[in-house]
Amino acid sequence: MVEIVFLTPFITGIIAFFLPKAISRQLLVATGAIHLFLSLLLWKNRPEAIFNNYFAVTPEGLLSLLVISLLFFLISIYTVAYLKETQIQKENIFTGSMILFLSTMTMVTLSDHIMVMWIAIEATTLASAPLIYTHRTSASLEATWKYVLICSVGIAMALLGTVFITLAMDIGNVDAPLSFSALTQVAKDLDPMWLKAGFVFILVGYGTKMGLAPMHTWLPDAHSEAPSPASALLSGVLLNCAYLGIFKTNKIMHAAGLNDFSGTILIVFGLMSILAAATFILKQNEYKRMLAYSSIENMGIIAFGTGIGGIGVYGAMICMIHHSLIKSSLFLSSGNILLGYGNRFIENTGDMVKRMPKTFVAFFAGFAGISGFPPFGIFIGEMFIIVGAFRAGHFLAAGIFILTLCVIFAGFANQVMKISFDDFNKEDLNKAIGLKERASMVWPQYILLLTSLVLCFYMPDTLYQTIIDAVTALGGGLK
Amino acid sequence: MILHPVDTILSLVLLSVLFSFGSSRLPGLIKVLAFQGIVVSMVPFFMGHDMDAGGVVFTFGTLLIRGIIIPMSIFIAIKKVAIKREVEPIIGYHASMLCGLGLIVAATYISRQLNIPSISEYTLLFPTAIALLVAGMFLLMARRNAIAMVLGYIMMENGIYLVGTTISIRARHIVEFGILLDVLAGVMIMAIILQNIKRTFDDVDTAHLRTLKE
Repeated sequence: MVEIVFLTPFITGIIAFFLPKAISRQLLVATGAIHLFLSLLLWKNRPEAIFNNYFAVTPEGLLSLLVISLLFFLISIYTVAYLKETQIQKENIFTGSMILFLSTMTMVTLSDHIMVMWIAIEATTLASAPLIYTHRTSASLEATWKYVLICSVGIAMALLGTVFITLAMDIGNVDAPLSFSALTQVAKDLDPMWLKAGFVFILVGYGTKMGLAPMHTWLPDAHSEAPSPASALLSGVLLNCAYLGIFKTNKIMHAAGLNDFSGTILIVFGLMSILAAATFILKQNEYKRMLAYSSIENMGIIAFGTGIGGIGVYGAMICMIHHSLIKSSLFLSSGNILLGYGNRFIENTGDMVKRMPKTFVAFFAGFAGISGFPPFGIFIGEMFIIVGAFRAGHFLAAGIFILTLCVIFAGFANQVMKISFDDFNKEDLNKAIGLKERASMVWPQYILLLTSLVLCFYMPDTLYQTIIDAVTALGGGLK
Repeated sequence: MILHPVDTILSLVLLSVLFSFGSSRLPGLIKVLAFQGIVVSMVPFFMGHDMDAGGVVFTFGTLLIRGIIIPMSIFIAIKKVAIKREVEPIIGYHASMLCGLGLIVAATYISRQLNIPSISEYTLLFPTAIALLVAGMFLLMARRNAIAMVLGYIMMENGIYLVGTTISIRARHIVEFGILLDVLAGVMIMAIILQNIKRTFDDVDTAHLRTLKE
């Protein structure tokens, strides 16, 4: 019963639209808990899907699913506390969309048919648009418009890419179901030219959703305008879902022996994203936009690692998992900062270490983690990617990669220092604000960061094996 | 060389691209797009593929949606909420027309290089599809009016539909359950959003949507 994992939140999500506020909040947490339980069950048993032409349990899908599930559960706990502190019009729409969003993303991770995945990714756009528009201001409307328009164009490109892949099947006289697993098996017979064209269009299409530069322009706006729990979901898991589409298409390319072609494109897009993030992060004056650019950077790192191949793919997978854990904790902390200072500009914050010590610990630890400091997982992932790049002989690319990461670290550190330690003596702001740091508004972040920390020192065998299974299809591994 | 009926129809589509680049007011642009939607969705009937009942229903459905429902609803929308009628070009009409001509030439040249066996007898098919795709993108980027942008998006969809339904049976099945959902969902959402833009701003000039920089 694979399908039940996304059908459950689908049903509860629709129900949540019609429930009173208090109950729909409870339903949010309950759905998170049930979903986590079902995902763990799925991880343990790895059953066959009922509609096995359309859905399948794959190692890379399982990894994303578990991350989504864990994140959603913790975020839902935070959301309940967050909703008590803020005023949101039509709260049912918010909670219902959150749950539906979970359902669509789960569907992405479990889909095996190309078109089912396409529909699921399209559905994530539909489910998340109301989340961005939650505050109903003109700025949030602009962000939603930008998000829907750019992602729709992207998804149209991905559809065109899929059409090209069927053309590659026709020219190569291949008769197989249109699923990723079947196509990977017959990849050698596909017409290489149209397969390449298909890959490029799918990469551009899903890359738009993933936030690769230069198609990333929706991302900073959407992330800064959405309420913090929604930003955490967008950044932590939605981007991974889009990456999954690229990953699976890349598997076909690899099986067809075209991995040099796909690798080069991924490296170029990856480096462009990291460079774009570096340019904008230095001059950023809003902390949520800064975190959004950091997401673009990390998606760039993941694409770069996937393009490098070998040990780099393993590094990319590690980065993906840890980026989700750490970045979502950072966005949740940014929600606390927003509530505490009532302001989204960095210059109007300061002295967080004294005013909000618990949030400070989470935010600062998250900053250390996302910049790639050793006790957290991104350090290991980036290390593997750099080693992989040198092994594969991409010296120039590796050089740019390392240099840009340093620039981003400098920019990021500068802003975080301002938020954390700068004097905060603006009289008029001083009176109005202050946040009581409830346990449920800091513990989710602590748990996320602790998970990242623990995974560095002790990785369960089953998790390790699943990652290895996922990356061997792309010729990756620890050798 | 004798023109195939499909090519005759497609030449109308190419003309509609040029017309759309030259239209300065929304009602005209909507009419052009409605015409284009009807013509493009009729192409499969003249292709000589075997069409099952489902295929016919789907083709008529697309015709209905692209040719009638969407243009009508946009018409009603601009009447009801008094949206500005000018498309507010970033690139002027004459320059746009010139771009359009250049685009058609380039599309023809490119499709000569590609050799697709299943549609090689239709000279204009692939050039038209490419032209529609790029022209849609062009309208998206070169017009400030939000409705004109949506219409550009629909033109892109038409291009994909043309590629999908004609290249092969398998590809037709893809656009069958892909494009319906895509068009419906995309346009409906955009319509809702447009309404809200209207409510919040006063007109749908996306130049007002430029407060967020970068």
